[in-house]
Amino acid sequence: MTRTQYHNDLDALKRNIIEMGEKSHRLIVDSVKALDSRDIELAGNVVQRDKEIDDYDLKIERFISQLIARQSPTAGDMRLVTSCFKISLDLERMSDNAVDIAKGTRYLKEGYTRPPGNILKMAELGQEMLRQSMKAFDTLDEDLARATAREDDKIDRLFYETQKELIEMMSQDRSMINNASYLLFVIRYLERIGDHACNICESVIYMASGERVDLN
Amino acid sequence: MSDDFTNGTEIEVRGLNLWYGTNHALHDISIDIPKNSVTAFIGPSGCGKSTFLRCLNRMNDLIPGCRIEGKVNISGQDIYNKDVDVVDLRKKVGMVFQKPNPFPMSIHDNVAYGPRIHGAAKKEVGGIVEYALRSGALWDEVSGRLSTSALDLSGGQQQRLCIARTLAVKPEVILFDEPCSSLDPISTSKIEDLILELKKQYTIVIVTHNMQQAARISDHTAFFLLGDLIEFGRTEQIFESPQKKETEDYITGRFG
Repeated sequence: MTRTQYHNDLDALKRNIIEMGEKSHRLIVDSVKALDSRDIELAGNVVQRDKEIDDYDLKIERFISQLIARQSPTAGDMRLVTSCFKISLDLERMSDNAVDIAKGTRYLKEGYTRPPGNILKMAELGQEMLRQSMKAFDTLDEDLARATAREDDKIDRLFYETQKELIEMMSQDRSMINNASYLLFVIRYLERIGDHACNICESVIYMASGERVDLN
Repeated sequence: MSDDFTNGTEIEVRGLNLWYGTNHALHDISIDIPKNSVTAFIGPSGCGKSTFLRCLNRMNDLIPGCRIEGKVNISGQDIYNKDVDVVDLRKKVGMVFQKPNPFPMSIHDNVAYGPRIHGAAKKEVGGIVEYALRSGALWDEVSGRLSTSALDLSGGQQQRLCIARTLAVKPEVILFDEPCSSLDPISTSKIEDLILELKKQYTIVIVTHNMQQAARISDHTAFFLLGDLIEFGRTEQIFESPQKKETEDYITGRFG
C-alpha cells in the first residue's frame, strides 16, 4: 500500500460523514419527540444543536477541497469524495428540516393534544431510511441502498393521506387552523427527509458501481 | 476531452507477443488505437508500456535477442511485413523521447535534417522548417536565431524542437515516450497544450508515468501490468469507473 496519508484522509472523510449522519439522525428523532410531547425545551435544544451539523458540513467541505487540490483522487476514491460532498449537503438539509419542525413546535397553540399518528409513522420511516442509507454508505452495500430508497414510497403515501386528514380537520373545526397548518409544514419536512435519504442511496450506488441512478 | 470519436482506427494490433531472449515481455496484446486522438499508456515500471510503444515503429528491431509475433497494422499497412522500409516507417510514425535529444547543430538544421535526408528540395526546406517550428509552438521564440545552436535552448524548448523535428517529415502518428518527465511544470503545460493541438492532424500515443497527465490530455487510456494489457477504454471511464480491480488499485495509488 502506498500513499498512506492519502488513504488515512479518505478514511477520516468517511468517518466524519458517518458521525454527521448519526448526529443528524439524533436531531430528527428529538425534533419529532419534542413535537409529539410538546417539549418546548427539547425543541429549543434541537435548534441549538443545528450549529454542530453546520460545522460538520463546513469541515467536510474544507477537507474535500484539500483532498482534491492536493491528492487528485481518481476512480473509486473520486466517487467517494464527490459522493461525500453531496451526502454532507443532504444531511445538512435533513437537519434543517428537523430544526424547522422544532421551531414550529414552539408556536403550537395550547389545547391541541397530539399530532395525527401518521405523522409519527412518517417520522419513523424517515429516521429508519436515514439509518439504513448511512449503513449502506459505510458498507458500500448497493442492494441495501436500493431497498432503502424503495421505502420512500410509503412516506409519500402517508404524506398525501395526512395532508387530506389535516385539511379535513381544519374545515371541520376552525380552531384547528393554526396547529393543523403548522402540521402541514411538518409533513412536508418529513417527506423531504425521505427524499434526502433517497439521494444518499443514489450517492451510495454511484460510489459502489459508478452508475448514476434516479431513485426518487 | 469528450469529443465523440468516430474517426476509425489508425493503429490495429492483434495478438502481439514480444520476447527479450527468453523473457516473455508482452503477452498477446490486441488494441485499436483511434485516429486523430491521444491514447495514453500507463502502468508501473517494467509493465511493458514503453516496449509496446516501441513496437509501433519497430524500434525494438535494434535490440539484440528481441523477437516479436503478431500483427501491427498502421493505416492499413502491416508494419512487420518484410517489404516494409523501416526508414519510411519511422518517417510515418515519428517518436519523441523522454530526454530532449537535439542534434549538436543549429536550430534550423535540426529541423531541416529529416526533410533533407528524405530528399526535400533545397528551396522547400525553409518553408518546411517554419511550418514545423510553428506547429511545434516554438517559432515565436526562435525565429530570430535559427542559426544558433539548438543546445543553447532550455529543456522545454529543446523538447518542442524535437517535436518540430518529428513534424518536419509529416508523420501520421507521433509516439511520445514520457516527453515531460525531465521538464518543469510550465514547459510540461506547453507540451500538453501542443499535444492537444497536434491531435487534430496526427494520431498521438503517449507513455506517461504521470497519471494526471494521462487524465488531462488523453482521450483513451490503456493500463499495462506485467506485460499484459489489463484495461483499455475512454479516459473518463478509466479514471472514473475502471472495470478491473488492478486498474483501480494502480490509479488510486494502492500499488505501483
